[in-house]
This record gives sequence, C-alpha cells and structure tokens, in this order.
Amino acid sequence: MGVRKFRSVEEMKGQPPLRPLDPENLRIACALSSLEKLAPVRRSPGVRKFRSVEEMSRQRDRNAAR
Amino acid sequence: MMDFGELRRILAAFEREGVRYVLVGSMAMAAQGIVRATRDADFFVAPDEDNVARLRRALKSVFDDDPNVDEITAADLGGDYPAVEYTPPHERYSMDILSRLGEAFRYEDLEAEDVNVEGVRARVATPRMLYRMKKDTVRPQDRLDAETIRTRFGLKDE
Repeated sequence: MGVRKFRSVEEMKGQPPLRPLDPENLRIACALSSLEKLAPVRRSPGVRKFRSVEEMSRQRDRNAAR
Repeated sequence: MMDFGELRRILAAFEREGVRYVLVGSMAMAAQGIVRATRDADFFVAPDEDNVARLRRALKSVFDDDPNVDEITAADLGGDYPAVEYTPPHERYSMDILSRLGEAFRYEDLEAEDVNVEGVRARVATPRMLYRMKKDTVRPQDRLDAETIRTRFGLKDE
C-alpha cells in the first residue's frame, strides 16, 4: 500500500482489533515476548512457591528491577 | 521469552495428559485478541492429587524429565502455596501455576472457552473472567488490563 493522507488524526483508522480466539494471536504474543531481550530478566531454573499471587508479583518486580 | 512452538507443545502435553487447567493472565488476554508484550504464561489448575500428577507428567514430557517438576505438589497448591512459579532448565521464561486467587477465585469458579491452536485444544479464560480476575488487584498493570478488556468487549462495570 502506498501513501495515504488524512485531514486529521481522527480520520486515521487504527489497525482493526484482533479476532478473539484466533490462534494467530498467541503466535503474535510469543513474538512480542522476544522484546524481553531489551531488558532481560534474571531467572534461575526450578520451582518457587508463594503464599499468594501478590507475593509472587512482588518477587517478580524485584527481579525485573535488578 | 516464550516460543510459540514450545507453548503449543505444553498445551498439547496438557491435552494428552488430561490436565484440568485454564490459561489466564496476559497470554490469555492475547488469545482473546488483546496482545501486549508478556514474559510468561499463567495456568490456573485444579489442585487435586490426580490433576497435579497429570500436570507433572505433562511438564516432564516437554522439559526432558526435569526433576524440579517433582516439587510441584498438590499439597502445596491446595494448601499454603497457591502460586507456584516454574522456570524450565533453559531459563527463557517462567510459568505461573495457580490454584486460587485470594479467596475470590478457585479453579471451579473459572469460565473458560476453547481455542484450537493448530490442532491442539487449549482452555482459555473468557474476557469476563479475565476482567474479574484483574479489576481488583493491587498491580496497576492489572487494573489497566481490566479496563482494556472491559472496553474492548463492552463489559459492564462490576
């Protein structure tokens, strides 16, 4: 597609929303997850156990900040 | 970093072993058409002995019989540790295995629907379920997600 011109931002339609339950959506999400290379998170293999999801989230945020 | 082929293998292993699970979190949002960068995959599971044994078999089949998987137990998930993080040996991502969310959500409470991932049946939380799970949490990202889901699917504010 070539150049398209608009008189205002409001005229510009964004990308159409993705169709729910389209398996291609998961492929896109996985591709986007490669962005993590820009800000790698330190992980170590194994199992960690938490008393709540909130506790798990706090630990994850701390790891991401390192 | 999650690889689509590996995600599909995990889902296929869950299906083969008959794991009772629901994909939740940002990967479920993606399945519902709201895609954002995510680092991991979250699975809500039924925490009974039989199901957790199925879960372990499935994960071991994908991750070369990783002995760490044996630490995922029904006693923990059904007891004091309803949130378990598993990082495979390759360390590229982790997955969260959840059995309850506060006092509000247990596996039996989840609404889910199927998505066919290249021949594999995956169970994914419905938009309404994802909205409910995210709207009252303390994380700003979750509240943002909840509002995005509510707007996108025209859900009523609850």
